[in-house]
Amino acid sequence: MELKRTIKFEADRDPEFVRWISHTVGGERIRHCLQCGLCSGKCPLSLYMDYTPRRLMHLSREGFKEEVLGSSSIWLCTACYACMVHCPKSINVTHLLYALKQRAIEEKRYPRRFAIPVMARQFSDMVRGSGRITESWLIVKVFLRTSIWRLFGMSGLGLKLLRTGRMPLKRERVQRRAEIEKLLDSVAATRKELAI
Amino acid sequence: MPEISQLSGPEAVRVGFYVCHCGTNIAGTVDVKALAGYAASLPRVAVSREYKYMCSDPGQALIEQDIADHKLNRVVVASCSPLLHEATFRRALGRAGLNPFLLQMVNIREHVSWVHLDKKAATEKAQDLVRAAVQRVALHKPLQKRRVDINPSVLVVGGGIAGIHAALTLAEAGKQVYLVEREPTIGGHMAMFDKTFPTLDCAACILTPKMTAVGSHPNIKLWTYSEVVKVDGYVGNYKAQVKHKPRYVIDDLCIGCQECIAACVYKEGKTPDEFNLGLSMRKPIYLPFPQAVPQKVVIDRDTCIEFKSGKCKKTCVEACGDRLAIDFKQKETFDEIEIGAIILATGFKTFAPERNPYCGYGRYPNVYTSLEVERLINASGPTAGEVILRDGKKPASVGIIHCIGSRDANTNRWCSKVCCMYSLKLAHLIKEHTGAEVFNFYIDMRTPGKGYEEFYDRLLDEGVHFVRGRVAEVSDWAVHPSEEGKLVIRAEDTLAGFVRRIPVDMVVLSVGLEPQSDAQDVRRLFNISCASEGWFLERHPKLAPVSTFTEGVYIAGACQGPKDIPDSVAQAGAAAAEALALIDAKSVELEPYTASILEEECSGCKSCISLCPYQAIAFIEEKKKAYINEVLCKGCGTCVAGCPSGSIKQNFFEDEEIFEEIEGVLAYA
Repeated sequence: MELKRTIKFEADRDPEFVRWISHTVGGERIRHCLQCGLCSGKCPLSLYMDYTPRRLMHLSREGFKEEVLGSSSIWLCTACYACMVHCPKSINVTHLLYALKQRAIEEKRYPRRFAIPVMARQFSDMVRGSGRITESWLIVKVFLRTSIWRLFGMSGLGLKLLRTGRMPLKRERVQRRAEIEKLLDSVAATRKELAI
Repeated sequence: MPEISQLSGPEAVRVGFYVCHCGTNIAGTVDVKALAGYAASLPRVAVSREYKYMCSDPGQALIEQDIADHKLNRVVVASCSPLLHEATFRRALGRAGLNPFLLQMVNIREHVSWVHLDKKAATEKAQDLVRAAVQRVALHKPLQKRRVDINPSVLVVGGGIAGIHAALTLAEAGKQVYLVEREPTIGGHMAMFDKTFPTLDCAACILTPKMTAVGSHPNIKLWTYSEVVKVDGYVGNYKAQVKHKPRYVIDDLCIGCQECIAACVYKEGKTPDEFNLGLSMRKPIYLPFPQAVPQKVVIDRDTCIEFKSGKCKKTCVEACGDRLAIDFKQKETFDEIEIGAIILATGFKTFAPERNPYCGYGRYPNVYTSLEVERLINASGPTAGEVILRDGKKPASVGIIHCIGSRDANTNRWCSKVCCMYSLKLAHLIKEHTGAEVFNFYIDMRTPGKGYEEFYDRLLDEGVHFVRGRVAEVSDWAVHPSEEGKLVIRAEDTLAGFVRRIPVDMVVLSVGLEPQSDAQDVRRLFNISCASEGWFLERHPKLAPVSTFTEGVYIAGACQGPKDIPDSVAQAGAAAAEALALIDAKSVELEPYTASILEEECSGCKSCISLCPYQAIAFIEEKKKAYINEVLCKGCGTCVAGCPSGSIKQNFFEDEEIFEEIEGVLAYA
């Protein structure tokens, strides 16, 4: 049995993270959380999470950034909004999980070969480059960066989809792609300006 | 407008000005020395002082001394809200031989120091307010308070435990009490309970002696199946109209033998029994429960065949025989009563759990509300005290879910206060009756109260499970063989840190407390206020918890907010004591802020008559002028503002006084 020190010191908390969380979209009411656990109970994915959404709420507002950004939970959220609709304190839990995902990507704190963040990254890169998603290429790219063996495993299904025309290989693109890029840059600049 | 100089004829106006530090409450934000210096520079101010606590005895003595030494005839005190200390300073003026109404207060605490941060700006604002008061006070006139006699009887509305206790207390003190209850029996929610926490004494055993005492007390006029429909008058002299709904049974002739119920053409009850919350059926002629007070049956005209078709054999009338107590032609009747004080004890309603669809109420037959389970456990309930499911089986496991409808922004934000304790009680009783495994799902366990925490400790010892987490869902969807045929409760066990699924046979929803659905109508009827949630508003949450902003109207029990039995009884006692203090004074002083008609200017247009909310204005036909009854006038000022010819004036709020005050505020230094 391996023993680990679990005690936390005040120095382990990150006050900057607390300030950020309470000003970011979704974090406005996080101090109202009464830790009832309704979000975790409602969450269809909480059965796989290392920290339930409720624990993320508390860890976030107390500033335990390492635990929060290193948690698998933020990548498991499918944005079904069940937690947010039912929260008895009207906390925007789903928005907050989005914010945590973005922060983790910005800080490059995500599991390298974990499909969900890779997918998010490839998705946004493809939108930036083409203005549209081509599902066949997106899937291939994600598998190449996560698990190439699963790509072979799924090839049967892929070929069927290709044959029936459900997943065309032709890359879809919009015209005036430079404008899409400008639009996304402007969003990023505004975010930086507002420091959110 | 008369010039102030005109007033300084034979008797020159000499104002004394006093500013209170209120510790640092005021002095921390307002420069009190500068304020006193500023006031000294204002015309007609003879003395200007600052003092640490003006309301203290030395502070008051200071004013009294100055009135004598400096021949002051007006006083301005800049301190807290007049709600708190106007009476204090008026008494000080009175002791010094000055008419108390020659005082004006400036609220520089609530209106200035508590709401501003910038000391300089706050001081300037205080100066403006002081200038207005000094200008206004010069026009104050001596006024006399009026005294009116008090009617020594009391109306108590609501016959739950609070109303019963208040009525009995007053009746014991020898006062005539009218107790009005809209249901056919008194007893309220408490009569439905089985045991009471934390001592587990039987609710009926402690309540019914009080109920019968009410029914037989010579000083209590008990009117059940009745409602107050109209209230007029003012403190000490209210008039109320009470409507008696027809029971179709003559009160004085019915002896409560219940032979009519047995004889009813319905062999079995077909109507859901209100007292058992629909868990059993009753006949159209019924007694709500065995210990009902009064022991008079009632006929429900919606289900009685005689009312529906007129072709019933009327076996009930036969059974009643020559007592002749049944009267199908009974009509509603009215009584007019005169009372000095009113106690409202109209109680609460429980949260309707259909509003939280995820807890399965109404969808799964074995999901019950806590009140329904009270009836199941109760020996006089639908199952004679057996806790059984709808199919007659005993549950082997029971989940009690706290906070249904409470502590939730989607329904009610407040904590209903009693649910934790009654859930513990139900857990104990269910375990005692069935031996089932009991799970309590709670957010926070709230057991403040004498013996309450000890009761929680006892439950822990009894092996009841406590899962800290708000339940997300109750469903019959089994994902594991052990869940087949059960109700599955899904919740995060927040202390363990993971989600759990717990299969049970029976779910109990600990529903919260809500204001009665007609609380708004009742508060309008009695002219009191409600807080935003709909609970009746007390005059002060700590220091006047049973008084309202309407003099002579008191509140007790859960109509003011969620409350358990001990608190309701304590409040009922307090309300009775307040009512006694009022009526035993025999007479009451009324503020002299009444309005009066300037007859020479009144055109007789009658506009004011319909405006008056207190029916205080009459029209004198001979003179073709309006007339205001001083005793009925509450000084609201509506008629003064509404009079098209400006021929109504109100004491203490005369046009000149108000204009002078406005000019004072606007005359920036």
